[in-house]
Formats: sequence, structure tokens, C-alpha cells
Amino acid sequence: MQRLEARRGVEEQHFLARRARSHSYNPPVDLRLVDYVSSYDPNLMCPICRCPFVDPVVLAECGHCFCRECIRQSWNTQTTTYTPHGPHGDCPSCRTPARLRPRSTTNNILINMTDELIVRCPKSDEGCKAEVKRGEVQDHVNIYCGFTLVECGADHCELPVRRKDVAQGCLHYGVSCLSCRKELDKCNLDCHWRNDCPARQTECAVCKSMVFPRDLAEHSSTACAAISVPCPGAALGCSNRSTGAQARTHADTCMLAKLAPILTTQHERLEEQEAAQKQMSRKLEVLEDGFTTIQSILSPFSSDNMVDKLGTDPAPGPRPTDLPGPYSADFDLDAPASFSAPNTSAGPYASPLHHLLHMHESLRDEISRISSALSELDGRHSMQNLNENLRTREEISYIGAQLGGLQRQVHWLTSAQLHRQQAGRSPTPGSATSAGTAITDATSGAGVEAALGAVNTAATALRGAARMVNVGGREASGMRRGASEEGRTKL
Amino acid sequence: MAAPLPKRIIKETERLQNEPVPGISALPHDDNARYFDVMVEGPGGSCYEGGVFNLELFLPDDYPMTAPKIRFLTRIYHPNIDRLGRICLDVLKNNWSPALQIRTILLSIQALLGAPNPEDPLNEAVAKQWKENQAEAIKTAREWTALYATAKK
Repeated sequence: MQRLEARRGVEEQHFLARRARSHSYNPPVDLRLVDYVSSYDPNLMCPICRCPFVDPVVLAECGHCFCRECIRQSWNTQTTTYTPHGPHGDCPSCRTPARLRPRSTTNNILINMTDELIVRCPKSDEGCKAEVKRGEVQDHVNIYCGFTLVECGADHCELPVRRKDVAQGCLHYGVSCLSCRKELDKCNLDCHWRNDCPARQTECAVCKSMVFPRDLAEHSSTACAAISVPCPGAALGCSNRSTGAQARTHADTCMLAKLAPILTTQHERLEEQEAAQKQMSRKLEVLEDGFTTIQSILSPFSSDNMVDKLGTDPAPGPRPTDLPGPYSADFDLDAPASFSAPNTSAGPYASPLHHLLHMHESLRDEISRISSALSELDGRHSMQNLNENLRTREEISYIGAQLGGLQRQVHWLTSAQLHRQQAGRSPTPGSATSAGTAITDATSGAGVEAALGAVNTAATALRGAARMVNVGGREASGMRRGASEEGRTKL
Repeated sequence: MAAPLPKRIIKETERLQNEPVPGISALPHDDNARYFDVMVEGPGGSCYEGGVFNLELFLPDDYPMTAPKIRFLTRIYHPNIDRLGRICLDVLKNNWSPALQIRTILLSIQALLGAPNPEDPLNEAVAKQWKENQAEAIKTAREWTALYATAKK
């Protein structure tokens, strides 16, 4: 039992020692020293270390946010006295006295945002190409990264070795670099060749200078002196192509290179102006079209004349006073003199546009005057019609009365005739004579009836005529009203 | 082997190069990235207008927890700057805050040139002159600026 416990104690010590060693080989990743691949919002930056927040805390007193370690360090240097309530000091941003509470923390959103930034593995100098989220970089180093130092797998060797090399057995034996003859351990040879060995430098294909393999990509993209660059003023006609430093000196001296940015901005401005001008000219065209249509509506006969005058004499000046002439000829319904008077008195116009506007105004006046005249005429006509109708109706009623008298006379005549016939037929003294008179009576009766029918038809005809007169009068007034309304809407 | 340069210093240096403050330039030495050669132009409208003042700036090891050390190299007639070029400015002493940067400090120094404070003097003689005869003091400051701080053609 005692032996078992002693063994467990030894194992535990061994484990602790191993962990301590591995800890010393691979110190925890300092998140402020890693390279950030993704760009981040400046608001995520701690004002003290200028890195994305690491374990951020918000000071409850003022609301400013810092990395916990940064604020603690900054206060440690300020106050060295013992502080039973935790570190306290002034906020570095606003100098508000504040206190760092053990539970001070911040919103998880901020922690998540900073932990999701992509960083390069801290072992990237040694060759690890991994790019992981910042929150996972410690796990990457501890578990996955092939360049993390671990204990050598060989027995009795406690030296560190990279995780990817563990399977190759103990690499802790001295070798000398084939190229530079430097003595070093086998496990460090790769790194030496990549970063340090002067004899392993590769030659830049263009400039023939020697570059470390790891710097090759950067060299060829920016630093290489032999890759020729065209002069910035190439677009303006400078055909110079020069390399690296020469290009810089050339750009300093070349007038075209200096002018290039100015000219390009000028060119852009010119294009903008042209576009604006095109738009303006289109607008102008539309407006001119509008004017010509207005003119053609206002004066169908003289529009060509007007356009000619506008075209050939655009400069403002005294307009010919006879211009309103053609218009007044059209509108001679009443007082053409009063129409042309304001035009002639107004004299020269500031511009053709003013002239047109003025003309338009006077035309509008004219139209309103015409419409009032029309309505007056309309009233007069309707009165006249009414009078005519009255007289016609009177005549018709007179004729009707006459007709009634005639009818009564005819009726009296026929009734007298019928009486006589009945009186003659009842005694029957001379049938022959009576027969003869009957025949004459019959003929005369037929004639009287025909006359009656004729009078009736005449009466109906008269009535029809009267109706027609009435209807005709009403229609005429309606038509006039329609015509005047049409005139108004045209304006 | 010296401790690796903190990211913050690298970032500040890069930003000073890429987005320089108008009228201020700071260049680190090639062999010591914590040592800067600084040039500050006298602010317009002050008696130091037209002058270009050279300063040296050193970032101590515990920067940004302690203030950078700054000194005028060009002679200047100013109540808050002594004969050796040391500057009396609160943010360089007690009021330093790690949230301040090289650029903000240099801006403060430029502002100090624009607004001398003889009430809190470092150079007693200049401050006395400034308080008793300000016109004369400003005239002297202009002369010194023309004498020492004007770029040699």
C-alpha cells in the first residue's frame, strides 16, 4: 500500500514536471503579439495597448473599456500602496476615479467579436501557415500546431522537439549545415535553412539579389529593385520605365508624373461638366419645343414668322411694335385698339421670353373679353328669340281662335242642314224633289265635312309649326352656350 | 536581448508615417525604434510662427505606462521650457495617461507653444519677463525663433 502511494506520488511529480517543462517550452500565447489577418474596427481597440481587446473590462464609473491586464498594469505603476478593495485609479481615457472589481466584465458581444478575429499562428515565423480565430489560437498551439515544442520522444532525452518531428526519433544530435558549416542540432536545421542560413538564400530571378526563402514573396511584390515600373505619367505620354529606387527619383523629377493626378482630376471634372451640359441642352430643347407648341396654339398663322425672329435675333432689344398686328387681326370682335395699346406702351422687352409671356397675358385678356362678349351676345339672342316666339305664339293663338270660329260656323251650318233634312224626310210630300234635294244635301254635306277635315289638318299643322318654333329656339340657345364654353376651354 | 517592441509602438510609428499630423513629424531612429527625431512647426498666429523646432523623444521601457521623455533640441524663448529644452507640461508628468499617444503628446506641445503659461513657469527669467512686459517677451520670442528655429537655406 505504501509502495503504491509512493509510486503515485512519483508519477504525479513526473507529470507536474512535464507540464511545467511544456509550459516553459510553449508559454501561453500573448494575444497582443499575434498578427491579425482580418482588419478590425478601431472601436475594438484597447486605448492602452492599441490591440483588439483581450479580456476586456468596462469601468463601471465611466463606461470606458480596456483590457484587464492593461488597466491593471497602468494602475500598478500609479499606486503602489496596498489596496484592499482591488486595484483602483483614474480612468486613462477620462480621468474619472474608478475601481477594478473582480467581477468587472463586459458584454459577451464584445468578447465574441474580438475572439472571432482571424490571426496568424504565433509559430508562423517557424513555418506554420495556420490562420485561426483568436479565441481558438491557444487550442491550436496546444493541440494541433506542428511547430509546438514538445518533449522528445526518445528515452532519457528531455530536450524539446517540434510536434511534427516527434515520430522521427531523437533529433538532438549535432550536425553542421551543409551550406554554411554552422554547427547545430538536427531538429533546428529546417528553421535555420528557412530563416538564417546565408548560403541558403535564393536568388531573385529578376534583380539577382539574395533573399531568404521566407521573404521571397514580399520581395518580389514590393522591394525588388529590378522590376520596372512605368512612370505615373505614362498616360500623358511619358514612356519612361524604371526600376525600384530609380522610379521614385524619376517620379520626383518628371513633370508629367507630377501633372498626372491634377490632369486626371481635371479630366474627371470636364466629363462631369459635359454630362451636365448635355442634360441642360436636352432640357432646353424640351422647353423650346414647348414654346413653339404654345406659339402655334396661340397664333397658327404667324408662328413661323415668330420662330424666325426668335432664331435670328436672340439678343434682347426693342421688339417691333407691329408684332401684335397679326394677333389683333384675329381678334377684331371688339376694340382692337385697346388690345394693342398695352403692347405698344410696354415698349422693348428684356428677352423673347418676356415678349412671349407678355403676349400670352394680353391674349388671355383678349380671350376673357371675347368670352364676356359672347355671353352678352348669347343673352341678347335668347331675348330676341323669346320675343319672336311670343309673337308667333300670339299669331298662332289668333289663327286658332279664327279656326275655332270657322269650326263653329261650319258646325252650325251642318247642324242646320241636318235639321232641314230630317224635317223634309218626315212629311215626304214630293219624294222626287226631296230625293233631289237629298242628293244635293248629301253632296253639300260631304263638301262641308271635307272642309272640316281640311280645317282640322290646318290646325294640327299650325300646332306642329308652333312646337317647331319652340324647339328651334331652345336648340339654338343650347348650341351657342356650347360654342362659348368651347372657346373658354381652349384658352 | 531586448524585449520585443510592443505592438503599440509599431502601430503608432506606422500611423505617424502614414497619417502624419499637419505641422508635426516624428521619425524613429533606424537602430533604436524607441528613439524619435521630432520636428514641430510653430503654430500659426503665435510668436513662434514660421519656426521649425527639433525635439527628441524617447519611449521608456514601460511605455505606455509611463510618459515618453521629450526635450527641445532647438533653443526657444518660452516660459515653460528651460534652457536645456525640458518641458513643463502636466501630461508629461503627473497627468500622463496610457491612453495618450505620441501624436497627442506632440499636439499638446504644439498647443503649449501657442499658449504659453507664465503662471506655472519652468524658466523663471522668461516667465518674469512675460508677466511684466509681454510685448517685449513676444518680440524676443520672435527674434529667437528667427535666429534658431528657421530652416537654413
